[in-house]
Amino acid sequence: MSDFNPVTLFFILHETFGAWLWLLIGLALVLAAGIAVSVMRLRRAGRPPLRPMTAALMIGTVATALATAFIVPRWTLTDIGAFGAAIDYLVAVLLALIPAAVVASLVFMMAARRCASRHAAG
Amino acid sequence: MERRVFLAGAAALAASAASGSAALAQTSDARARIVIAGAGAAGLALAARLRRQMPKATVILIDAKKEHHFQPGFTLVAAGLWSPADVTERNADYLPRGVEWIEQAVAEFDPDGKAVVTTGGQRVAYDFLFVATGLMLDYRAVAGMDAALIGKEGIASIYAGPAQAAASAAAIDRFIETGGVGLFGRPASEMKCAGAPLKVTFVTDDKARRRGRRGALKLVYNAHNPAVFAVPPVHDKVKALFAGRDIAVNYSHVLKAIDPGAKRATYATPAGDVTLDYDFIHVVPPMRAPDAVRNSPLPWREGPLAVDGWVEAEKATLRHPRYPEVFSVGDIAGVPRGKTAASVKWQVPVVVDNLIAETAGRTPRQTYNGYTSCPMVTAIGKAMLIEFDYDGKLTPSFPFIAPLEELWVSWLIEEKGLKGTYRAMLRGRA
Repeated sequence: MSDFNPVTLFFILHETFGAWLWLLIGLALVLAAGIAVSVMRLRRAGRPPLRPMTAALMIGTVATALATAFIVPRWTLTDIGAFGAAIDYLVAVLLALIPAAVVASLVFMMAARRCASRHAAG
Repeated sequence: MERRVFLAGAAALAASAASGSAALAQTSDARARIVIAGAGAAGLALAARLRRQMPKATVILIDAKKEHHFQPGFTLVAAGLWSPADVTERNADYLPRGVEWIEQAVAEFDPDGKAVVTTGGQRVAYDFLFVATGLMLDYRAVAGMDAALIGKEGIASIYAGPAQAAASAAAIDRFIETGGVGLFGRPASEMKCAGAPLKVTFVTDDKARRRGRRGALKLVYNAHNPAVFAVPPVHDKVKALFAGRDIAVNYSHVLKAIDPGAKRATYATPAGDVTLDYDFIHVVPPMRAPDAVRNSPLPWREGPLAVDGWVEAEKATLRHPRYPEVFSVGDIAGVPRGKTAASVKWQVPVVVDNLIAETAGRTPRQTYNGYTSCPMVTAIGKAMLIEFDYDGKLTPSFPFIAPLEELWVSWLIEEKGLKGTYRAMLRGRA
């Protein structure tokens, strides 16, 4: 496992995903910027981020469960019946967190925008 | 563009990689003339590392083959999960800049004259030679067998190439549909990916169960010796899995002839020849060194590895004991184990680093411990990540993955992880 240093891992990921890796990195940067803008907008409006965060966590949890049960097994050409050991579920959940994080980020941004808009309207 | 992408990524990550990275490997300014015979996994990986780590050397790659096959994926093609296109690439896409490619095969090795002769008659001199020709599938050593029969008359064989692996997938599907007796096995010779014949057996069993047709099949695995796998704990595990899945095992059965018309296979056994009827057979051919190697002074002259012409090599360094400027890497190397892409991944850095040390005036210290790996697919969606060394000692890379447990995470590595790692290896980056 010592062979899998960060540089080697980068090249393996690049060879595995090709252009998708850069799209994913780009998407992650855009979402991170979107979250930062949303937090600043909430601050300007004097609103705490609790409600958007709660919504994002709830939807993100559901998305994680759905992705673990359907997307990850299908992506590996199998079904959830292939999961047998704890390590299988753990790795599947970690992979499912990638699409779930995208969903949660979008939910957070939408909820934050709505919260801030309501405050401005009020 | 590709190069810029890699450089940008490597630069970003290099700071966090303390040491031990391929990208930070030592270099040599020696102006040596290096010939690599063969542009398979070993040849291309060697070319990439030598080009980068010996920038002033002349590196010449000799191979007539233009297509490159990701052979570890052939099992997944035979399972009907991947297409031949998923395992077919071009050698040119992995050829490093500055490496000369002679698009001919090697016809003759002349280690006494420090030269090789190509099929076009070109004599290519070298200071150092890397023999990475791969091996030859000797289908004709099984009487009545021909590679052209794959996909016909109930005959499958995943080793011959992507198209033949796909034809084998269709043959497996037809067998499951019609039912009957299916014979599996392996040759008595040294072979690449010794787990593949077992994988094909497991996949056939699993596909039949998924379609509710398992009861219509009788599956028989014919082991060439008294074990289904050379590593004892793996043998025990596979034996138990076979028993649990109603797969019969015949020990010490070596396929010597088939009659495709009558669908009968003859096996050499200690008690004499035994003939078995079949409706489906997965033929794994005996494997040998290519003629150019066998007819040269390079092979072992005695011992079990002499029979099929494997190149004589010190097993820790892969260096030829009689011709110290010659190294053999990959399938052709005459060492006890190591005919897998995973072995190549560990062999290449050893021979390159040792050559660099030697040409830079240092003492070569790297050794290869015989590491090889077999993600043993036991069903679609499950595999055992088996890794071991020359001594048959299990050497798991990941402490959280039990090597003898059927896991989806091991399947994930097989189905999603290996190809990227393999490609990174071809570029000398893994």
